[in-house]
Amino acid sequence: MNSDLALPAVSRSRWTGLGAFIGTELRVQLHEVLSIATSVIVQAVFLVFVAVLAREYLSYTLLGAVVFSTFQIGQRVQNESAWIRIDHKLHQLYHASPMTPEAYFLGMSVGILLAYCLPIVVLFTASAILVPLTVPAALVLVAVLGAEFVFTASVGYMISTWFQNMRSIWPYSTLFFNFFGVLPPVFYPLYLFPQALQPWVLLLPTAGGTALVEEARGLLSLPTAWVVLAAVALVVAAILAFVGAVYWARRISRER
Amino acid sequence: MNSDALRADSVRKIYRGRNGPDIEALSGVSLRISRGERISLLGRNGAGKTTFLRIASTLLAPTSGSVEIFGRDAIADPESVRPYLAVVPQEGKPFMHLTPREQAYSYLRARGFSKETAQSRADHALEQMGLTEVADRLSITLSGGQRQRTMVATVIATEAPLLFLDEPTIGMDPFARRGVWESFKELTTKGSTILLTTHYLDEAEALSQRLYIVDQGRLLAEGTADQLKHRVGGTLRVSVVSGDGISQQLATFGPIVRDGDTVHVITGPGDLKEILALAAHSNLTTTVGPVTLEEAFLRVVGRSIHDEF
Repeated sequence: MNSDLALPAVSRSRWTGLGAFIGTELRVQLHEVLSIATSVIVQAVFLVFVAVLAREYLSYTLLGAVVFSTFQIGQRVQNESAWIRIDHKLHQLYHASPMTPEAYFLGMSVGILLAYCLPIVVLFTASAILVPLTVPAALVLVAVLGAEFVFTASVGYMISTWFQNMRSIWPYSTLFFNFFGVLPPVFYPLYLFPQALQPWVLLLPTAGGTALVEEARGLLSLPTAWVVLAAVALVVAAILAFVGAVYWARRISRER
Repeated sequence: MNSDALRADSVRKIYRGRNGPDIEALSGVSLRISRGERISLLGRNGAGKTTFLRIASTLLAPTSGSVEIFGRDAIADPESVRPYLAVVPQEGKPFMHLTPREQAYSYLRARGFSKETAQSRADHALEQMGLTEVADRLSITLSGGQRQRTMVATVIATEAPLLFLDEPTIGMDPFARRGVWESFKELTTKGSTILLTTHYLDEAEALSQRLYIVDQGRLLAEGTADQLKHRVGGTLRVSVVSGDGISQQLATFGPIVRDGDTVHVITGPGDLKEILALAAHSNLTTTVGPVTLEEAFLRVVGRSIHDEF
C-alpha cells in the first residue's frame, strides 16, 4: 500500500482540455460527411423553390439560409450530447476528470460548429456574391451568426439533458428547431409576416437576427426602435442561454 | 497526510419515483479505502454497487451521508476532487468514429497531459489491454470486448490517483480479463487506488485486497477473500442436488446454504464420508470442493450472486 504518496499537481484552469475536446469532437463529426453535406438540404430546397416561384425574395432566403444553418448547430449539439450521455455514457469520463462541465459543453459545441461550418461558409460566400453583401452588412452577419451559435448551442445542450432516451428527443428536437427556424420570417421578409406580430417575432433570435442583417444590407427598412429591439433581444437571449447552459452543465454533471 | 483515498459515511440514496414508489438504492453505506488499495464491491445486479460508485465518483448526489476523497469533501465540493478521479462507466462505449489510440490519446489530452505523455501512456495502456493490433482501427469495427478494453485502456492510461471501475471486464473473454487484472495490479503498485464493482467472484477474489459484499443497498460483509471464506465455517463444500429431503440430517454436519434445489453443506474432511453415504442412500448426486467465495456470498446474502432481484 502506498499511503504516503502526494497527490499530483493539477491544473486549476476552468478551461483545461477545451482545445483537446474541440479536436476530439471535430474528428468524430468529420466522419459524418453525409450528415454535414445534407445539413443544408432544407435551405437548398427553399432556395430552389424561391428561385423558381418568387425570385424577388431570393436575397432574403439566402441570408435566412445562412442564419438558419447556424441555428441548426444547436440541434446537432443536442443530439450529440444526448447520444454521448445516453448511449455511450462517455460524459462520465469527462465529468469525473479535471475538465470542467462548461469546458465539456463548449468543447462539444465548438467542435460541432467547426465540422458543420463548411456549408455555412459556402452559403455565406454565396450571399456575399449574390445579394451582394456590403462590408457593414457582412460584419453584422458575422456578429449575428456568433450570437446565434451561442444561443442555439446553449439551448441544444440544455434540452439534451432533459431526456432519458434518444427516441423521446427526436420529435421535440424537430419541432423546436423547425418551429423557431422555419416558421418565422427567416427565409422570407419580415414585411410578409402579419403586421401586428412583427415586433414580437423580432424577439426570436432567428427572425430578429435575420432582420438585422437584412436591415444592414438595405433589404429592409425597420424603425430604429425595432432594430434596437431585435439587437438587444438577440444579445440578451445569447447571454442568458449561455449563462443558463454553464449553470446547467455544472448542475447536471452530478445527477440528482 | 490523510491516508484514506475514500471515506464514505452513512451514504443513502433514494430515487424518487415519478410514476411509482420511491426506491431506496443505498441504505447507509459506510466504508474506508486506503491509498493504494484494490477494493471490490461484490453483489448481484441491482444491489446498489453502481449507485455507490457513481456517488463516490461525484456523478450522482446522495440523499444523505458524506463522502471524502483524499480528505476533501466530495459532496460539498465535487470539482475539488475530480482532477484526481477517473471512471469506467458501466456499459460505456468509446467514440465509434475514433480509433482506440485516438480515444485514449485525446482523452489524456483533455485531462491536460502533454502530447508526449499522452502518446506514451496511451500506447502503453493499449498494449496492456492487448489492443496494439487494432489500435488504429475505428472503434465501430471492433468487437464488444475490444470496445470495453478500449474504455479500460483510456481510463487506466490516466494513472489517476483514484479509479472507479464499474463492471470493467464485462463482455471480455477470460484471457482479456486476466490482462485487465494485471494492469490494475500494476496501477496500484504505482500508487493508484482502485474501487471496482463486479459480480464475477473469481475476479473479486483474484484482484481485491479487500472486498465488500453488497445486497439491497447495504454492506453485509467486509474482509479479504480468505476472511470471508473462513466465516463460512468449514473448508469443504459438499453440494447435494435435490437435497431438500435430507437437509435436516445434512445440517448436523455444518451450516447449510440453499442455492436453487441444491443444498450445500459447509464442513470439514472428517464428516465427508458420512455425508456421501447419506446422499448415496437417497440416490442423490453429490459434488465436493473447497469452500469458495460463492459459498461465502451465499452464506452472507442468503442467495446466489447469479439470482436476479
